[in-house]
Amino acid sequence: MPSPSGPPTHSVLVCGEVRTCLLPSLQALDGRAAAQLLRLRADDHVRVSERPTMYALSPEVLTGVDCGLPAANGAKVRAVGTVAVRGALTEGRLLQSTAYVSLPAAGPDVRRPWGQYLVRPGLVEPLGKLPRQAVAEGVLRGAGRGELDLGMIAEGLLAQLRRHALLDRRVPFKSSPTRLRWVARREPEGGRASLVNFTVAEGGLRAMELLLPADVPAAAAAGLCEDLALHDWLLTTTQYMLDNSRLGAADGPSVVEVLHPVVVHLLHLWMPRAHVDPALGHLWDVLEDRPGFSRQWENLGRRIRDRLALQAVPRPYEALSRR
Amino acid sequence: MLIFAASDKGGAGRTVTSANLAYHRAMAGDDVCYLDFDFGSPTAATVFEVADAREATDGRGLHAYLIGEVGEPAWIDVWAKTEHPVLRNPPPGCGRLVLMPGDVSGGEFATSDDNLRHCVDLLMKLYYEYDLVVVDLSAGRSYAVDMALEATAQPEMREITARWLVFHRWTHKHVAAAASLAFGVRGIIAGGVARGHDEEALRGAIRFVRAAVPDPESPLWSQVSPTQSAWMRKTDGDLRQLASAQGVGYSQVLGSVPLEPVLQWREQLITAEDVVDSQIANQETWQALSRLAGRLTDDKYWEQA
Repeated sequence: MPSPSGPPTHSVLVCGEVRTCLLPSLQALDGRAAAQLLRLRADDHVRVSERPTMYALSPEVLTGVDCGLPAANGAKVRAVGTVAVRGALTEGRLLQSTAYVSLPAAGPDVRRPWGQYLVRPGLVEPLGKLPRQAVAEGVLRGAGRGELDLGMIAEGLLAQLRRHALLDRRVPFKSSPTRLRWVARREPEGGRASLVNFTVAEGGLRAMELLLPADVPAAAAAGLCEDLALHDWLLTTTQYMLDNSRLGAADGPSVVEVLHPVVVHLLHLWMPRAHVDPALGHLWDVLEDRPGFSRQWENLGRRIRDRLALQAVPRPYEALSRR
Repeated sequence: MLIFAASDKGGAGRTVTSANLAYHRAMAGDDVCYLDFDFGSPTAATVFEVADAREATDGRGLHAYLIGEVGEPAWIDVWAKTEHPVLRNPPPGCGRLVLMPGDVSGGEFATSDDNLRHCVDLLMKLYYEYDLVVVDLSAGRSYAVDMALEATAQPEMREITARWLVFHRWTHKHVAAAASLAFGVRGIIAGGVARGHDEEALRGAIRFVRAAVPDPESPLWSQVSPTQSAWMRKTDGDLRQLASAQGVGYSQVLGSVPLEPVLQWREQLITAEDVVDSQIANQETWQALSRLAGRLTDDKYWEQA
């Protein structure tokens, strides 16, 4: 079986979308349960690693597509091929699904027999030339009706996983899922991958642009994006719980009630780069430098611990009244 | 928690009241999502005053999502998009208020396996995300009601707390119609049981909300003639009797909202400013809505009678 990332030499553009959410289960899943959840194919294994964090990655499944590509300039480009989709579970707690494709610079002008597309898993070929820049912008902007919608494909897998009989369908706390759309333009072999842009939009939407040398597999880029999406979700969710919830300037047991799930379920999940391809690990440095992902996380963690510590200190008047 | 808002007839105050309840809960700090499942005539966008934003999402709303035309339904952040000057500045500490609009072009449709799947996926996803999900269903025994019953009967939704509010006005016809919508041969309970719901559990999850209820004791009517006053009291008493005979009596009522010109004519959210500053709305209405909003999740009001 050829690698689902396909022959990287052909593609000039890789795009994908990652969806990140809390696993609907009161208990975090252990490695065995995670493997069972992510067993999307009978003929392939789930990769589970226990160090430094428990991380399970499903085999890739393919979704056949024959539709228009989203293009920012309105160009109508029909494309045919297969989208690779995979699921991942981190620490048995955070569930992600990614749909991604590689696109070559040009394809044959007429549609070929289906079998010829199937031998290139994860590759979608345009009929004619690919307007690379317009499609990259179109993917980041989001697909219109009838266009290749990677988010919809990723969401489909996420919905399927959330329905799994293994899950009790109860969440320890309410949280919003996030979506990260990403595009990677292929660069000549031997170069160094770089992060062009990472933007945070409203409604849990994130956009990322990369430059990716031809020898780095598309799956590695997907892995990097999953890692970033996961940590971005942690920041977003924890920040929201601290800022916008009923917590506010509240005091007393309600503080513990709100912060308890963060301490129990989230604080230990921060582990950037843990499962990222070494060829792409340095891209994290950019985000660590500015805006400073880990810096913000440490700050959040400190705030939470301080708020909880304050709860343990008797208020001055309470201390006085006990005298 | 999921709240399904149903009514036998249009004009029973279903949309405007349930939207106000969503607003009260969001102000109290809950993250609230309001789904406009009124497939013939989606009006929730008007109540939240996000008509422009709704127009921009037309064709990508709940209707298009359920029939599989779009992967995700469009949604509108009410605080950010509303044209209502007060709502634009929500107080700190309030939760999110999100509207998923219907499609103007979308009519009723039968429930197929595919759109049932979409419906269950959406409700589950929102349940994981929001403290409260309010689903505004088309009036009568509509496809929207069928779909809600069918979806909540699915094994994956069995564990989820879903409650039903049946809105009706305080008239003979409306009381009888509301009772028939809940308990009739083609009613919610009968339809639910046919889809695998437990009858007792479903019965226990239905409460009635009386909308536009004139209070004979209100100072509003203090100037009426003694005959009129006596007649009003008698009619009110008769209605109470009818309601209780139909199974829509006191123990089954979650609350009433008084007759309120602002709700009747403007069909919009009543803000604290409307009550305190401009005083166009009555204090009693605000309190009634606030009480109702609290009771949505107060188990005391949902215990079996």
